[in-house]
Amino acid sequence: MTSRLNQLKAWSMFHSDKNRLFSKLASLTVTLPMLLGQTLHAQDHKHSDSAQKHQHQKQHQNQASRTLSTTHAFHEKSWPQLLKEGPRPAAYLFTTTYCSTCPAAFEVLHQAVKEKGKPVPLMAVMMDASGTKALRHASHFKGITKMYAFEGFEPEIRQSVDPAWPNVTPYVVMIDAKGNLQKVIGPPSPEMLKRWLP
Amino acid sequence: MRSLKHMWLALMACGLLVLGMGTSPSASAQNKPAKHTKRIQLATGAALAPDGRLWVVGLNEHGQLFMQSSPAQALGQWTAPVILNTQKDEIAADGESRPKMAFGPNGWAVVTYTQPLAKPYTGFVRMLRSTDGAQTFSAPFTVHQDRQEITHRFESILFDAQGHLHTLWIDKRDIPAKGAGPKYIGAAVYGNVSKDGGATFSADYKLADHSCECCRIAMSNTPDGKVAAVWRHVFGEQTRDHGFAFLPEASANVQSLSKGPTITPVRSTFDDWQINACPHHGPGLAAYQSQSVKDAASNTSQTGFHMVWFGIRKQDGQDVAGVRYARLGAQGEPLLNTVKPLPDARAEHADVLSHKQRVVIVWRVSEGSQSTLKAWISEDAGQSFNLKVLGNTPGPNDHPRLVQRAEKMLVVWRNTTEIKVYDLSP
Repeated sequence: MTSRLNQLKAWSMFHSDKNRLFSKLASLTVTLPMLLGQTLHAQDHKHSDSAQKHQHQKQHQNQASRTLSTTHAFHEKSWPQLLKEGPRPAAYLFTTTYCSTCPAAFEVLHQAVKEKGKPVPLMAVMMDASGTKALRHASHFKGITKMYAFEGFEPEIRQSVDPAWPNVTPYVVMIDAKGNLQKVIGPPSPEMLKRWLP
Repeated sequence: MRSLKHMWLALMACGLLVLGMGTSPSASAQNKPAKHTKRIQLATGAALAPDGRLWVVGLNEHGQLFMQSSPAQALGQWTAPVILNTQKDEIAADGESRPKMAFGPNGWAVVTYTQPLAKPYTGFVRMLRSTDGAQTFSAPFTVHQDRQEITHRFESILFDAQGHLHTLWIDKRDIPAKGAGPKYIGAAVYGNVSKDGGATFSADYKLADHSCECCRIAMSNTPDGKVAAVWRHVFGEQTRDHGFAFLPEASANVQSLSKGPTITPVRSTFDDWQINACPHHGPGLAAYQSQSVKDAASNTSQTGFHMVWFGIRKQDGQDVAGVRYARLGAQGEPLLNTVKPLPDARAEHADVLSHKQRVVIVWRVSEGSQSTLKAWISEDAGQSFNLKVLGNTPGPNDHPRLVQRAEKMLVVWRNTTEIKVYDLSP
């Protein structure tokens, strides 16, 4: 549900000339969850002088929490299923809670999507944490549509994605509209991005 | 009219969204968050006490820091676990980031771990100390003087021959605030020294700028009483090979090292891996002092290091990933004709031990849910090796942890149900 709203938000972001539609969609994305009885797991934080630093930090983190309220289990059978039934085009970035080079690679994907003006889902897959611990990092992945989290034995899941993938992150898989895959360790090159979103 | 059309489209889109939620099983499977099972962090530290007793420290299924020990005469027969008071610190115990334990003289023992902080990529290095041989421990305290909410992670600890405790960690205090200075590549390796088993510490000093951000640091005592370290280092803009350096002696004025330019580490590997990424795969290091027949005649000996590391290097135009072994010279420089790949293309998280002519390299390899523990053993100081399969296990398991005291060489390997010990002593 939340991810569908995110897709809707992303779609609306890339059509800046349709301001009127924007406002309607924006209001719908806010009201729809309420109509459906679901809540977004985020809280607004009031600033106070004494705890300004912490509040600012929490606020920053919660910007991501407003759009992502949960992580989705990614186990050893998830990848074939996502390739078969998942969105196209799309991109998945595999990361860890201590991969400080990963957000920059995600930003390369995000910029490519922005430049194309298409609603392309961008997923982060957290390999060493799930739930709240993983979602702490969502604010570092601007434009994220959904966050998955490894569920099970890490090497086994990693091999289900690519047997040749050494445990290096960011590991990026870009899927184009026809289902063709490009895989790369580190930020994708401009040539790869062009092939991904022609 | 145009706006009405857009409005209609928007409502249709939302309607389809709502309908789609209930009608597409595959889409539902993708979007419905499955409940996560409780994640057990298996990364465990191990150490041999002066009396030969083997100790391990790790997290239990409740996330509590526990330790237990096993007598030298019955390795693998563990005492009941004892929970340590960590004052509810969150503790990193996954992959290369694991709790650690070390024994010094005078009944000193320390346990360390990284405490991840609320802000992503940040942490404090925390320590508990004992003065009665690990029977009781202090409350945890922060090891470094710098208390900014930044990266202080991936600590390594080692008592040197004089009983001084050396701690190194990855530190990001030198990274300027956004827009406040030139780009700083990677992180830095910082450290300090304690002459009293962790009761007091020197000032933090910087060993080297531009380390990689998320790999373990390897440390080794040398035969002449020094401490050497090797870590994944960023050379130039994004070449991730390894840097080697000797730590300052405890008697040095480390305060003077805390500011200003630091040493340029010796480059100990030349994979020339150009990558802006995190390998999560630190090196292993073991000092050696070997004496060949020729050396014995002239009463000389060769000193240097055995090293294992993971890297990707170009071979015939192809990127070839793998764990490799090489000997380093006395100053950490690679002896290039000694480089050899481990006999396992998918070897992961190898580590190395050395005693006289014996060299033991151990790693894990996984195939689906099965993991195998393998050893490569040399009796001629790394000239030749024999492969040995030590064991295997299904499901989640830790990296192999190597421990040594003199000629005693052990491998500790933890899975979800037990902690196994393999004795690879000569």
